[in-house]
Amino acid sequence: MKSALIIIDKAPYGYEDAFSGFYVAIACLNRDLDADVLLVGDGVYAAMERQESEESIKFPNVGELCYLIFPEGSLFVHENSMLERGIKEKELVEAAEIINDEELYEIIRSKTVETAVIKI
Amino acid sequence: MIILSLLFIDNYLSNHLQIKIMNEKKTLTIILTEGPYRSQYANLAYELAMSALNNEYNINMFLYMDATHIPRRGQNPHSFPNVGHKYKKLLKKGADIRVCIRCATARGHACDPHSPYLKGIKITTVYDIPEWVLNSDKVISLG
Repeated sequence: MKSALIIIDKAPYGYEDAFSGFYVAIACLNRDLDADVLLVGDGVYAAMERQESEESIKFPNVGELCYLIFPEGSLFVHENSMLERGIKEKELVEAAEIINDEELYEIIRSKTVETAVIKI
Repeated sequence: MIILSLLFIDNYLSNHLQIKIMNEKKTLTIILTEGPYRSQYANLAYELAMSALNNEYNINMFLYMDATHIPRRGQNPHSFPNVGHKYKKLLKKGADIRVCIRCATARGHACDPHSPYLKGIKITTVYDIPEWVLNSDKVISLG
């Protein structure tokens, strides 16, 4: 397979999943394997700017990990998931690429054959 | 004479290539993130892997996050089938099963002076994932 799409649908804190998902994406990119991250559902919280987890709960700042995959990898953020949670575009990290349902469909469709879809 | 030689070469090459194609096993990589018992993912991954092994696939399994609990020795569930025994069968059949060192260490497994894992389990890093993705025909994530 030629690339990886890491799907994260859990909130960045309270679960290890978002942190570990970014870890996989970073490892892939460091090994020259194309990798993108898709945030859906509660996963969209991972792309919010100005997270302060290190000071408050002593957990790595997942927002900062977003920048470690950029620009080699894309950080897709599902628009409807954002809107359902009252999150606005200006609240997201600069690396975030907001995608609507049609764009999500196209991304998934274009990555069915040679891409490993890894849901973390 | 030339035609006969060409036919011989052609026949040799086609047989040789056919054998080579038949010998090239496909590879399935399974990335598992859930631990045993709380969910059925470990059992499902076992069934998938065993079925693929029986169909001549190479099997890679990467155990990530809570899945690093799965291949521990000495499990003794009272109400469920023993997942450890199942993974021992996969190892015997030739599956390559690896656990993430970061996740295992966090859970107190990798630092144990006597390995807590079944014989044959490798403790490696998340960097095996891209390597395996590149060399796999199919990747399935469960959890």
